[in-house]
Amino acid sequence: MSQTAPQAAHPAPAPATPAAPATQADPASVDTPALLNRWQLIGMSVAIVFGILSALVQLLGWQADGRAAADTEQLVRVQEIQSSLLRADALATNAFLVGGLENADQRADYDVAIETVLTGITAAADAQPADRAVLEKLAVAVNDYATAVAQARDYNRLGYPVGAEYLSGASTTLRDALDGIPTLEALAQANTDRAEGSMNGQHPFWLLLIGVLALAALVLLNQQLARQFRRRINKGIAIAAVILLAVTLVGVVGAWIRDASNDNLRDGDLALAIDQADARTAANDAKANESLALIKRGSGARFVADWETSAGDVEASLRRDTGDQWNAYVAAYREIRELDEGGDWDAARDKATTDGADGSSEPLDSFDTVSEQIVKTASATVVDDLESGQEIALGVSVLSLLLGVVAAVFVARGIGERRKEFS
Amino acid sequence: MSRIRTSRALAATLTAGLLLLGACGYDDTVVPEPDTDKTTPAAVTPPVECDDATTSYDPSNDRTAARSELKNNKRLVVGVSADTLRLGSANPFEDNDIEGFDIDVARAIADALGVSLQLRVISAAERITLLKSGDIDLVARNMTMNCTRWTEIGFSAVYYNATQKVLVRKDDVAAFEKDGLASLAGKNVCAPTGSTSIDNITEAQPEAVAVGAANHTGCLTKFQNGEVDAITGDDTVLAGLAAQDPYAIVPEQDKLTDEPYGIGANKDDVDLIRFINSVLDERRGNGAWQASYDKWLKPYLGDATAPAPKYGR
Repeated sequence: MSQTAPQAAHPAPAPATPAAPATQADPASVDTPALLNRWQLIGMSVAIVFGILSALVQLLGWQADGRAAADTEQLVRVQEIQSSLLRADALATNAFLVGGLENADQRADYDVAIETVLTGITAAADAQPADRAVLEKLAVAVNDYATAVAQARDYNRLGYPVGAEYLSGASTTLRDALDGIPTLEALAQANTDRAEGSMNGQHPFWLLLIGVLALAALVLLNQQLARQFRRRINKGIAIAAVILLAVTLVGVVGAWIRDASNDNLRDGDLALAIDQADARTAANDAKANESLALIKRGSGARFVADWETSAGDVEASLRRDTGDQWNAYVAAYREIRELDEGGDWDAARDKATTDGADGSSEPLDSFDTVSEQIVKTASATVVDDLESGQEIALGVSVLSLLLGVVAAVFVARGIGERRKEFS
Repeated sequence: MSRIRTSRALAATLTAGLLLLGACGYDDTVVPEPDTDKTTPAAVTPPVECDDATTSYDPSNDRTAARSELKNNKRLVVGVSADTLRLGSANPFEDNDIEGFDIDVARAIADALGVSLQLRVISAAERITLLKSGDIDLVARNMTMNCTRWTEIGFSAVYYNATQKVLVRKDDVAAFEKDGLASLAGKNVCAPTGSTSIDNITEAQPEAVAVGAANHTGCLTKFQNGEVDAITGDDTVLAGLAAQDPYAIVPEQDKLTDEPYGIGANKDDVDLIRFINSVLDERRGNGAWQASYDKWLKPYLGDATAPAPKYGR
């Protein structure tokens, strides 16, 4: 940058130039040192405020990405609780069909599922204070459910019909409004909204606006100086403007790239993780309804209708890598219903409880396993992506602040030169 | 001075901005309130008066005519209970087979008809609806014969005379045996929603608080969880509940009502009802009724003989 008005422009001989333009300040009536002080303060303030605001907006973006990662992890936790709870219910209801002496492996799987639910609730309450009150109620509901299932199991081992009543009561209460499942649905929705909201935390437009306003202010300041001192460009202000422009460009481009990347994550892996977790939950709900319909022995029309609703939810999220398992499960389920409605309850029960490939449990378990893996992979991708480059983003934010200060120093020097010339 | 003031203002603004930034938080998660169920209660049908509630059709052993009235002529679909111990309940030690006093009657009818038997578990509230819709052929589920029901469905002759009684906690037995129903004043008494038992207890002891449940086993879970103090119902059903809980006792007491059991059928299936009556006659005569009673109910209800049938409808 060169100065285009190298000639001396001492303001002192002002009385000898009566033909000066009307717009030009009359040096005789202006306190030039005070004016220069004011301009210097304004110019420095513009640069520092620019640095602080740019840094703040970038810091907001950095924080938003961090929050989005944490929100996604919380969402995954909540959905894992939901899937595990319905998995536990599917296992408990299915075990009931075989009588009091339940399958030991199935019992162990039930215990693992309930343990996953309880540890998940604790972890989720630690991670998100806003969920804590609802999670406390959920913990009570899960405790009531597990207690009722334990009572059901005890009575079933004694051969008493009241055991089945405890079990169906526990399953029904679990799905009742304001109890387990609706609470988890509310938690999942709240955390989905939070994660998606946090992913919108990049603000390239605001960075651009701050940069444009700061540059405009420096240009105006330069114009004022040029009028007073007959120099078109002040070197210090020009260097400060270049710094501000560079910071603005880097900030805007960085935020824009981040914003586009977050949009892709939200519509891609995050949507996949949410959909597949929903499908996994619905599939286990379907299996529980299959067992409850059999427990009711031909009078479980409500559970048959609920099965269809759950199956519809699964099929809305079906993928190529889960389709075979689900279709195999549906085929087995249809056979079970046909047997039950045809009067052969024993054969229907056998098909619903066998571990073999011809039963309904094996394909459902496969679907559950594959779905769980898809959710884990997709959610890990989201979290990794959101957390990647966090240090760089924070560094750029700090650098913006420092460069704002540096720009302010250049403004001070540029105007300081004019002060020296004046004195 | 001016510069210092401006700098201070700037610093204060920035500090406030940073504090606001740090204070960014989340709203607490809220579980939405459920839509309240605004279903209107079903209209109460006024009871029908008659003097032949236990009178059925004359027996007939015309099996062909009876089979022609089945929904599927190779299968008899009977609505039963699977949770009423001693009358009809699934036995987890016997592959969950449903067994009991009512089930013996259903099996005898299917055997006599020469068709397979399909037991369909139904609730008490479903008995008349499913018979009228034709989803099931018969109901063998401790169903009391009364005049109101005769206007909607048909019945076989009486196969057991039950009575309505009250079950209480073990520590309430002394009070109940001393004061009878008066001891239930202010207590929660459970019976299946929509059953005549709940009406009978509120009529006999208006100061008792009637609590409904889906079925008698649902009442037992409420009883065990301390939500109700007593259960009322047929002595046969209460015997099954008492068998599952040593602290649930049916004290010595006068009966509240008579509850004559009949096999329910569709009102139009008169030939089927006549055939069932011939099967019931045969069971009374060949000792099958007595053997079934002795096996399922005698240990809890004492000696009894088969009720005499009344025909001529």
